[in-house]
Amino acid sequence: MIGLKELSTFGSFHPSVNFTYFVIVVAISMSTMNPWFLAGSFISAFAYTIILSGKSAIKFNIMFIIPIVLISALLNMLFMHDGVTELFYMYENAVTIEALIYGIMMGLMLSGVLMWLLCYQVIMTSDKFIYLFGRILPTIALTISMIFRYIPLIRKRFKEITEGQRCMGRDLKEGSFVDRVHQSVKEVSILIAWSLESSIETSDSMEARGYGIQGRTSFHLFHFSMRDLKMMILIVLLGGLIIAGNIADRTTIYYYPYIRYPLQDIYSYIVYGLYYILLILPIITDIGGEVRWRQLRLKA
Amino acid sequence: METIAFKGVSFTYPGCERKALDNITLSMGDSDFIVLCGKSGCGKSTFLRQMKKNLIPYGRFEGEVTYKGTDVSELDKRTCASRIGFVQQNPDNQIVTDKVWHELAFGLESLGFANEVIRQRVAEMASFFGIQNWFRKDISELSGGQKQLLNLASVMVMQPEVLILDEPTAQLDPLAASEFLRAVKRVNLELGTLIIISEHRLEEAFPLADKVILMDSAKVVMYDETEKVAAFLANKDNPHDMYYGLPSIMRIYSELLKQDRDAFADKNACPLTIREGRLMMEEYMGSKQASDEETDSIEGGGIGRMKQDIRLKSEAVENTRGDLVIEMEDVWFRYSREGMDVLRGENLYIRRGEWFALMGGNGAGKSTTLKAICGNIKPYKGRIKVDGKDIRKASVKELFDHRLGMLPQNPQAVFTEINCEDELFEAFAGSKVKDEVQTEKVNEMLELLQLSHLRKSNPYDLSGGEQQRLALGKILLLEPTILLLDEPTKGLDPFFKRTLADIFKKLKENGTTILMVSHDIEFCAEYADRCALFFDGTAISTSTSKRFFAGNNFYTTAANRVVRKWFPQAVTCEEVVDLCAGLST
Repeated sequence: MIGLKELSTFGSFHPSVNFTYFVIVVAISMSTMNPWFLAGSFISAFAYTIILSGKSAIKFNIMFIIPIVLISALLNMLFMHDGVTELFYMYENAVTIEALIYGIMMGLMLSGVLMWLLCYQVIMTSDKFIYLFGRILPTIALTISMIFRYIPLIRKRFKEITEGQRCMGRDLKEGSFVDRVHQSVKEVSILIAWSLESSIETSDSMEARGYGIQGRTSFHLFHFSMRDLKMMILIVLLGGLIIAGNIADRTTIYYYPYIRYPLQDIYSYIVYGLYYILLILPIITDIGGEVRWRQLRLKA
Repeated sequence: METIAFKGVSFTYPGCERKALDNITLSMGDSDFIVLCGKSGCGKSTFLRQMKKNLIPYGRFEGEVTYKGTDVSELDKRTCASRIGFVQQNPDNQIVTDKVWHELAFGLESLGFANEVIRQRVAEMASFFGIQNWFRKDISELSGGQKQLLNLASVMVMQPEVLILDEPTAQLDPLAASEFLRAVKRVNLELGTLIIISEHRLEEAFPLADKVILMDSAKVVMYDETEKVAAFLANKDNPHDMYYGLPSIMRIYSELLKQDRDAFADKNACPLTIREGRLMMEEYMGSKQASDEETDSIEGGGIGRMKQDIRLKSEAVENTRGDLVIEMEDVWFRYSREGMDVLRGENLYIRRGEWFALMGGNGAGKSTTLKAICGNIKPYKGRIKVDGKDIRKASVKELFDHRLGMLPQNPQAVFTEINCEDELFEAFAGSKVKDEVQTEKVNEMLELLQLSHLRKSNPYDLSGGEQQRLALGKILLLEPTILLLDEPTKGLDPFFKRTLADIFKKLKENGTTILMVSHDIEFCAEYADRCALFFDGTAISTSTSKRFFAGNNFYTTAANRVVRKWFPQAVTCEEVVDLCAGLST
């Protein structure tokens, strides 16, 4: 059940729902240093990257994400000397528990946000992005779509040019340095000429299909349904309550000189709970989707 | 009812003396399927472009082109965009966006339709053309044939009354091309759209056409029903250049008619399809057999002798066991680790000085084979030798200096200069050939490829077929001894195909080995020494061309399919006609 990619049920929601979700989650986890928040965000983002991208995410998380946390903790511990609980002295500087914990929290925040962005990349495909921003700036949206079209095309052409030149006995990898520079300039210039010439035909084709007539609309395949509305309300409600709690200082924490919560009470725990619900929303949605799918298949 | 009318239209490009269109008057309508044919460069594109406002070329224009009585250049943008659809030659260049669904919607977005309307129309067209299965794909995942079909569909969503197609199949392999043409025919039959299409592949297009426009040096020579144009092309004493592009069945028919005026009862029923061809042969053979029985000479005379001749000729080729120039042994290759094997233990042996054709379905791995021989891709298992050298150990210089020469699929990949002449000179870059010799060779090459009149034109201003020739010329100037060709007949008019075959024959006489990957059955059958079918990752049933095609039932020439009941060995038109001539003597 890992590596869902575009089969993700959460990803099948309306782009505006997906986008709102990521904006709220990332904003909240960047605006607070509360360990309850950061640990929750880290764990759920860690889990969700694996659900979305599978094995490659496990590898990436171990190779990059965990080192980020460790390095951040180490650096903060070595260079930050505030805090009252000394662990030991190094070159006459105190190394404190407060600095160590603050460093870990910084690491959790950075890596958590990073992992949320990775999830964002899987969920918000180019067409969703284009759709969202195309309504504000239609020409930009079309331009982006055209760029996405051109990147693979140009890559393919360049490969063909290199191969073609190689078959004329002109290889980029052989000959003197000057020869090779000369050859690469030639190949790039072929690519430019080819692309410019072909773009004339593209613009002909655009005009032939009426590009330039006043009142262009922007077509999309998305549909804002009842399910999207419910999810949107839930996300916004949760987000609103959590942010309200943060503003009311219920979740504020100070690390220096010593760790303390100025105003921790029952409301704080409610806010934490709400945040956890928000964090695991996509995970629950995806697991729920998978479970339902399997049940249906078993019945059939 | 006339939809589009030309009245005394002449057109001259700026800086040109010669007219590109010369006093053309005709009218098109009635939901016809009209095929426009003529040699490369005779003005077909110029003609078609006069009908689409934003594509009308700059130049001196006389006369009048009207759409339903209104001058085309005065049509408002909206009518012009939605009522007159235009599909161009290159599948890649016409596509604007990155997704199939977005491309389909592009025209309707321009016209400012609401989302629901676009959704419905796009859905309709996607189902009509069978696009629904790849509706959400990225453009970069599509094949050439799919891209061109998408171009057609994204014009059709705007519900045009007239659909103009400028050599739409020139960049496609024959299988994708006939599929495309069938889709166009369906548009014509089921939606009643007027179709005007320029096409070299008359073999495919003629049976579909209601009417044919025949163009020659800027003039419309004939505009009439298909059978009449075919008869006109065939019956002249020295056949028209386009004659060689006619379906084999028509050519056999007209040749037989030339031999014997009374061969057929109905003189105006020129057969168009294989089925009609069979019926024609049935009638012909019936009359012959009757007369043969009287003279009692079937085996001893004509037919028996001809059969033997053909067999001897083909065996002569098979028995010359020259040394091998290309050896592929147990070669395995796949593009990605998770992917399927494209080459699965391929074995291929090419002899020195032969013309070898590798045929087979789309995406089967024929082009991959060529790439492997050039070393552009690295097989994970197996050995490839060129001229006895293992290519993994040879340097690029050793491999390509007067040894391998390869024509890339897109000729643009080798163009660097601003005119054709310089383009050919560029082939000598870095070599020590004397200037005079260079000039001489370039001139010879321009002459050979019939490009002399275009020597000062920009390579990008040439038509697809001409670009193909220019790129070939550039490769030939490097004087390779082994020529690797990927679909060399793509986009060429039938007349030039013959010239190309002559060029290759001459190269072969001078000792060049030719390995050609092609879908062009008729071309391979007529000229290649040996053929092989590429299937399931390897070359199977390698044999001399005659045997190869005579042994196949479907994968063979149209001529063979028509006459195999009587002459299973006959593969080309000429052979069929010769055999029939043998019968009547």
